[in-house]
Amino acid sequence: MPDSQRPVHNRLAVLRAERGLSRKQLADKLGINYQTIGYIERGDYNPSLELALTIAELFRLPVEAIFSLKPMTPLSEEIFREPPAGSG
Amino acid sequence: MNTTSTSKVEYLPRSRRRMLVAAALVGYPAAVALLAGLKHTSLNRWLILVLFAVVLLPSVVALGVAYRYARGRVNGRCARLDERDLALRQQAYALSHRVLAAILIAATAATYVYLTSGNTLRFDANSVLPLTMWVVVFVPALPALMLAWIEKDQPADA
Repeated sequence: MPDSQRPVHNRLAVLRAERGLSRKQLADKLGINYQTIGYIERGDYNPSLELALTIAELFRLPVEAIFSLKPMTPLSEEIFREPPAGSG
Repeated sequence: MNTTSTSKVEYLPRSRRRMLVAAALVGYPAAVALLAGLKHTSLNRWLILVLFAVVLLPSVVALGVAYRYARGRVNGRCARLDERDLALRQQAYALSHRVLAAILIAATAATYVYLTSGNTLRFDANSVLPLTMWVVVFVPALPALMLAWIEKDQPADA
């Protein structure tokens, strides 16, 4: 992969740990090599749109919850974020 | 195949892999140049042969390691290539083409300079054999060597 490629941030490692899946198990479900999961998690490889959508489908999450062009905030921070004042 | 040694090769850091690739590419021309330089000296023939083998050996070992590292990913013998492997293979072939082009341009330029400086080029079995060996062994090995050169370090198992 070219080193100049724009980084795509992801939550794959967190989601995989949350579901108790090893890299090998996740790779087998996706039909790819387990090393590729490691490269994606580390941000060294940007998956194709097809693979990103397959991953989203597997985790039953929208793709933007897993992949983003901006650095991702911790999930706990998003879940327990205080609602804006006056929203009810 | 020995799984332990395969996995050791698989996890070779990129810096070490690059040293091996450099050794593979430089070793053979260095050994041939050494042989050509020592052939007309009074040095014992067996000693020359030993020196040639010593200089060539790292190149042969490095080639073997690079082929093992590529694990059939460049020639399509690997049972399952995913999208990253395919992209990597494409990059390895593209880089091989660039390296080969650079070598051919350099060799052509050097030959031109040599011939225009009043020298003559003699083509016989002794001069063509090293070139043939290089083409037969190294040109097909270039994609595997380039794959070993470009692939980033493997993530640690988790």
